Amino acid sequence: MKEGLKYFTDTHFTLLGLLIFFIWFVLMCFWVYRLQSPQFHEQMSLLPLNDEGGRHE
Amino acid sequence: MNQDEIRYNDDIVKKFVLVTLLWGAVAFLAGLLAALQLAYWPFNFNLEWLTFGRLRPLHTNAAIFAFAGNAIFAGIYHSTQRLTKARMFSDHLGKIHFWGWQLIIVSAAITLPLGYSQAKEYAELEWPIDIAIALVWVIFAVNFFGTLAKRREKHMYVAIWFYIATIVTVAVLHIVNSIEIPVSYFKSFPVYAGIQDALVQWWYGHNAVAFFLTTPFLGLMYYYLPKAVNRPIYSYRLSIIHFWALVFIYIWAGPHHLLYTSLPEWAQTLGMIFSLMLWAPSWGGMINGLLTLRGAWHLLRTDPIVKFFVAAITFYGMATFEGPLLSIKAVSSLGHYTDWIIGHVHGGALGWNGFLTFGMLYYLVPRLWNTKLYSIKLATWHFWAGLLGILLYYISMLASGITQGLMWKAIDPSGRLVYPDFMETVIRIVPLYWVRALGGLLFIAGFAIMLYNMYKTLQSAPEQKSESVFIPAAKFDKVDPGKGHRFLEGVPGIFTVLTVVAILVGSIIEIYPTLSIQKYIPVTSMTEPYTPLELAGRGIYVREGCYVCHSQQIRPLAEEVLRYGPPSKMEESMYDRPFQWGSKRTGPDLARVGKKYPDLWHLRHMVDPRSVTPKSIMPSYPWLMGKSTDFLSLRKELAVMKYLGVPYTEEQIANGDMMAEKEALIIAQALEKEGAPPGLERKEIIALIAYLQALGQKSKGENK
Repeated sequence: MKEGLKYFTDTHFTLLGLLIFFIWFVLMCFWVYRLQSPQFHEQMSLLPLNDEGGRHE
Repeated sequence: MNQDEIRYNDDIVKKFVLVTLLWGAVAFLAGLLAALQLAYWPFNFNLEWLTFGRLRPLHTNAAIFAFAGNAIFAGIYHSTQRLTKARMFSDHLGKIHFWGWQLIIVSAAITLPLGYSQAKEYAELEWPIDIAIALVWVIFAVNFFGTLAKRREKHMYVAIWFYIATIVTVAVLHIVNSIEIPVSYFKSFPVYAGIQDALVQWWYGHNAVAFFLTTPFLGLMYYYLPKAVNRPIYSYRLSIIHFWALVFIYIWAGPHHLLYTSLPEWAQTLGMIFSLMLWAPSWGGMINGLLTLRGAWHLLRTDPIVKFFVAAITFYGMATFEGPLLSIKAVSSLGHYTDWIIGHVHGGALGWNGFLTFGMLYYLVPRLWNTKLYSIKLATWHFWAGLLGILLYYISMLASGITQGLMWKAIDPSGRLVYPDFMETVIRIVPLYWVRALGGLLFIAGFAIMLYNMYKTLQSAPEQKSESVFIPAAKFDKVDPGKGHRFLEGVPGIFTVLTVVAILVGSIIEIYPTLSIQKYIPVTSMTEPYTPLELAGRGIYVREGCYVCHSQQIRPLAEEVLRYGPPSKMEESMYDRPFQWGSKRTGPDLARVGKKYPDLWHLRHMVDPRSVTPKSIMPSYPWLMGKSTDFLSLRKELAVMKYLGVPYTEEQIANGDMMAEKEALIIAQALEKEGAPPGLERKEIIALIAYLQALGQKSKGENK
């Protein structure tokens, strides 16, 4: 333990961490692009253009 | 249809816009003066308040908190009201925020040249100002979240997510990095020391870049770019991934400032890997921004606002590619401590932050003052002057950094340094310092054109009157809250909590283990604390900002061992508050300078560096021969150090001043015998010499 924190170089843990994050990222991309409503996103993306009382069609 | 009448508070926006222009001038001129000093040191006019060590923090604080800070507030106040279709929560809080922030800036402008500094980059301001920053930031947060609470638009646009991340993370960063114990009204010691201070400082420092110079500007990009080109952002779904990936990953990147230092390997590796991963969401944001112009690229030819935005996003892409590249250990071994890093920073600061701000201001000012921009042509001239300036700056510093890095690394076949004299590597790059100063001058010339353009625009503005906007009445109960991220965008409270969790994960994992790391240092390796006189000298080193040009951290690289001695170990700085590892070598590393040169050499070197090193670009410090050391304050300093865990005895604390005076007398008398002027024992030069001679000498056992 004493030396562990000072000289931690176990690349297996690092690789595992990297894999976990990469898989999570891919899943997140999948979730965002598959499950969300395109109409809602289109409406949200137009928000800056629909302020000041005017509307952007 | 039922409609609500809203009057947006644009008075506060106008105020922030005007001071952005004012502080921009201050920040850029301070930067130019600093650049000129590196090319030709007498540009400090031999004034202690203008030496590079004191000027650089003034420049960075002005650029980050005064110029960029006020620009952020202008944009956030303007865009948030319109995106939420609600007036800011409190006009009164807005005024306190505005005047409080300007007071902080003025305090910085006074205290930093006077040498009141914590010597931690982008966190130099002393404890009373740190408290003021926290209070003003809370006021800003209340005003912002209060506006979200009274919003008429249920779901929050992406820009608002970035503003939320900015506000909560900057609060966490500032509070954690500013935990310090006051010694007097304008001096304090951080609770962290050595390696912990280094890690906390660069967790803060890199995330100041992330959450003060990146996320709020990304928020501004997501609002003002669509407004400028009258097109929606390219992909709202990409912005979801962009936001969460960026906010989660960025916070881990801090240790990339500490590669090859005595920070544990695991922390360095985490910093490197996460910095590399950061490339992806950063370019996601860049792609989202640039592709927003699809169908509107013709505007690039005619509209200077679009020119500024596109260039800003391009520089963002460059900087966020270069950053991960520099975070690779092998690349860092070349680039760290060199001007390459300065080039990288300024490509981002001038290109991304500067140009985005200019584009936003050119967009805002005519609309806020209900007039037209005085001259599109002048704005275009500003763009080209600024762009050329940035390119000259960046290219000269890239060349300088790589030149110096390679010269430092050069070892001949017999195993000796090719350039053993550090000065050889300085002389070679001074011409590039002139080119950098020219680049800065061009950037300022462009800014001066902008100031004139703004002045003429405001001159033509009609009488100001606030106008109402009529929007459909809010009907939250009729809006489908949605599921998943759509639901999240409608609940600012939960969204904020999740953002805080995202930034805390990396923070805790990286920082927590190092907080107890000193328990693992063997007693035989422990360092001796500084003597009272050495501590006084360290205070002078901190005041003069020596860390700005000199590092105190030898990396375990062959060329550094040859040049400076054994690599630095974490125990050697275990009592250093603040840590002074440094991040730039305009001058050589000082970690093992102790006993390398005699006391008389140090005296002559500080009074006039050119008397011992003819081509030195270091400022002269003649006032150290005249100013008296504050011996009395040593008792309080030693008491605070003991409270923080440094093993001073009660006798040392009670008699610290007398012990320091005695040690100073010995040094002064020895110097007098060698030809130095008499009567120096109470002068600051003696204390500083004592500190410099202690560097690398305090370790016990095999580290010596």
